[in-house]
Amino acid sequence: METWANKISLLFPILSMMTVADACIHPYPEGNSSLRRMAVEARELGFDTIVVPDAVTLTCPGVRIIPASIIRAESVRTVSGRLSRYNDGKSLVMVEAGENGFNRAVLNIRGVHVLRALHLARKQSFDHICARIAAERGIAVDIDISPLIHTSGPSRQRVLVRFAELIRLHDRYRFFLTVSSNARSVLHLRSANDIVLLCSLFGMEEDDVCEALSTVGNLIAPEGPVRVVS
Amino acid sequence: MKPLPPTLRTKKRYVLAAIEPVGAGADQKELYRAVSCALTSLFGDVRAAMISPAVIDSVPGHLIVRCNRGGEHDLRIALATVTVAGSEALVLRSKATSGTLHALRKRIQRVTHPLPGDPEEVSFGGKVYCARRYQGQKVDLMEKGIKSQELLFLTQDDLEE
Repeated sequence: METWANKISLLFPILSMMTVADACIHPYPEGNSSLRRMAVEARELGFDTIVVPDAVTLTCPGVRIIPASIIRAESVRTVSGRLSRYNDGKSLVMVEAGENGFNRAVLNIRGVHVLRALHLARKQSFDHICARIAAERGIAVDIDISPLIHTSGPSRQRVLVRFAELIRLHDRYRFFLTVSSNARSVLHLRSANDIVLLCSLFGMEEDDVCEALSTVGNLIAPEGPVRVVS
Repeated sequence: MKPLPPTLRTKKRYVLAAIEPVGAGADQKELYRAVSCALTSLFGDVRAAMISPAVIDSVPGHLIVRCNRGGEHDLRIALATVTVAGSEALVLRSKATSGTLHALRKRIQRVTHPLPGDPEEVSFGGKVYCARRYQGQKVDLMEKGIKSQELLFLTQDDLEE
């Protein structure tokens, strides 16, 4: 059977270590599905990596679990303060987006991996300058597909417009993207194929979705020359 | 009345979707309403009319939806946004698209879906649940009670811990 991991390795033969990752899920007790069950379902849906906030160390065959720390803060000072606590090199640090100035400052902080929840932030909160900084510093921007599934009417339209603007900036500046389901149940998880379909709603190409699904692995262990540390 | 010649008939496509959880008890009419609502909400009445979805078959764990040719892509997107049918929380995962029903029915026969075992009583986190075990690791728990029954999705290992 042709899995998404195989498809990605066919598309990008050089980067055979690429992953297919859901960039944020919320297992029990926040949701109604245990982490093990989420991992089993994610594997069946074509993922080999899941990112779980405050995850416990757990081995699930075929699925790599990356712990994450989500920082929700009003000020940049608070983000910096919390970052020193979370930045252990093993977990993904995700910061929730805010106003434009806040986002620009956060993108300049060392140790931040992902800027998330941009659809909840105000219009123009992520502009071309933010996009350029994100591209230069290798910080990813998360696309949360849950509002596309669980909302309708004007709120979904707003999210679609926001994501379309983001994709326009991405096409120009080529910063990293991640895709997350923010699933709180196994019923909220979507397969990689479904994610490609849902992302086509706001004009994201299939190749870009494949690339976004594989970004998480590179954020934890960025590509580059080998460094001698001792 | 003389039937339309085949060349003038509207071409149809059939989309096979898996229903999860397997034991979801939504009937065909509720599933049709859920798909139709999702399609209309996402693409509007005009596009939904062009696609003209129809649930033509539903067996436990699977559903076949018919649409006009050219509408299968949008129909699959709409299927991905279905979260509830009737009062039941479920998810529809599109598996295949075909021009004939025969091909999809053969595919359903090929994929033997693990049906849940007999319900049994278990306690988890101080509450009593009705558990359904699937082939392999999966266990679905439904809280015993009359209203606001909590639904949990676990594995065998979670229950044993």
